[in-house]
Amino acid sequence: MNVFITGTGLMTCLGNNVKTVFQRVLKNESGIQFMEPWSHLKGQNCLLGGPVLSYDVSFLDRTVRRSMSRMSELASLASLSAVNQAKLEIHSLTPGRAILCLGSTTGSPETLEAFHKKYFSKGGPEGQLSVSFLKSMNHSVASNVALALSFSGALLAPCSACTTSSQAMILGWELLQTGLYDVVIAGGADELHPNSAAVFDIVFAASTHFNDQPQKSPRPFDVHRDGLVVSEGAGVVIMETEAHMRRRNAEPLAQIKGGSYLVDGQHMTQPQQTMMEQTMRSALFRANVDAKDINYVNAHATGTKLGDTTEARATYSVFNSKTPVSSLKGHLGHSLAACGAIEAILAIEMMKNNVLICTRNLDQIDPDCIQLRHLQHHENEQVKIVMSNNFAFGGISTSLILSNV
Amino acid sequence: MNKQEIIQAVNQALMQGFEIPTHKLLPQANLFADLGLDSLDAVDMVVLLEDRFQMKVDGERVQSVRTLQDVYDLVGEVASRRS
Repeated sequence: MNVFITGTGLMTCLGNNVKTVFQRVLKNESGIQFMEPWSHLKGQNCLLGGPVLSYDVSFLDRTVRRSMSRMSELASLASLSAVNQAKLEIHSLTPGRAILCLGSTTGSPETLEAFHKKYFSKGGPEGQLSVSFLKSMNHSVASNVALALSFSGALLAPCSACTTSSQAMILGWELLQTGLYDVVIAGGADELHPNSAAVFDIVFAASTHFNDQPQKSPRPFDVHRDGLVVSEGAGVVIMETEAHMRRRNAEPLAQIKGGSYLVDGQHMTQPQQTMMEQTMRSALFRANVDAKDINYVNAHATGTKLGDTTEARATYSVFNSKTPVSSLKGHLGHSLAACGAIEAILAIEMMKNNVLICTRNLDQIDPDCIQLRHLQHHENEQVKIVMSNNFAFGGISTSLILSNV
Repeated sequence: MNKQEIIQAVNQALMQGFEIPTHKLLPQANLFADLGLDSLDAVDMVVLLEDRFQMKVDGERVQSVRTLQDVYDLVGEVASRRS
């Protein structure tokens, strides 16, 4: 069954709509900045982050907003943009044949911090607001987006940290293949919090040497890379079957050819090359596409020593040195649960604009990553089919294949 | 704390906590029908008032609260018992 994307929406540190973000990425801008408040936290070594600068959700009713953390607000705005672009009438969807499939890494860390701070200062749960739980439960983003869209239907909240939204999209593709659904609203969101950076710093995977030069980090595949930089955002796509799209005369933006998500079952944090390869090959098989037909690979490449090298080797084993590869983390940082959908959306823009965006901050390719055809400058090329890869703690790999229409 | 101070403080808590415009904050206003609160808001209203007035409200007593005047009276009762 053919599956198309008819709407996209995103919120990122480089802007709050697809057009702006793509223009800024084209200008090779970075959304990374020094996070001054973090410098006062004991043991906080990574002081860089990519915050969404400003947005407004005041148009939403208070009873819709009250249970929203920052990540739910970001997800709601991205979802509304995607629905608007797709011209999807939420109320006209057949009950039970549409599914909302959105996740985040955890419940809101900002809310959890406030909850626990109060809990320990009061010596118990006295004085906690009821909405605290609604902001910190694991399916908070999905449920809040349902409220924002007035969506009634099926709901899933997939959760796999940095592969959350890519997995949501692939899961959506699978669900549409069953014939049980017509439409999937898929994506993910995460909010910036010092703990997110600290989680990576604890395992020496966060950037710590560029605190005085924020925009020089992260540096995917670069010999001087020293770790990732956490950002925040949301990415949401409207996916629908060809029949449903045609019935309502909607315009396709891209086709989802297929995808795959696999866990290695070997290690929680050390990426396994064989599983990355297997995921890419599985996605190609499911999409019925040959590796030689992929015109561009959007790498996960966050700028960590081990992750980038392992990914480069896995990607080389599938594509050799012919296929152009780049990562968008140098522009946007690592928005965790949101990054997969955001990168897929920007890969669609690359196809539409016949331009491949280079890896920002890739000044000197690491000899351990040298095998690939790295994009150090944008290239104007006709791009028909792309693969977008993401990897997460927990040993999860996702590989998504999109084609231009 | 006198009655006027209680009214002002309760009104301010409701404005800030639930975005209720000043003109709706009338003593006879029903919390649910007129001010648009629901059961979730009622729970959080008590938390906000307990925090604002540093008091503990009896859960059963709260069940009988319907209007804004009831809220003023409830806070007044607890405040007078404490003093």
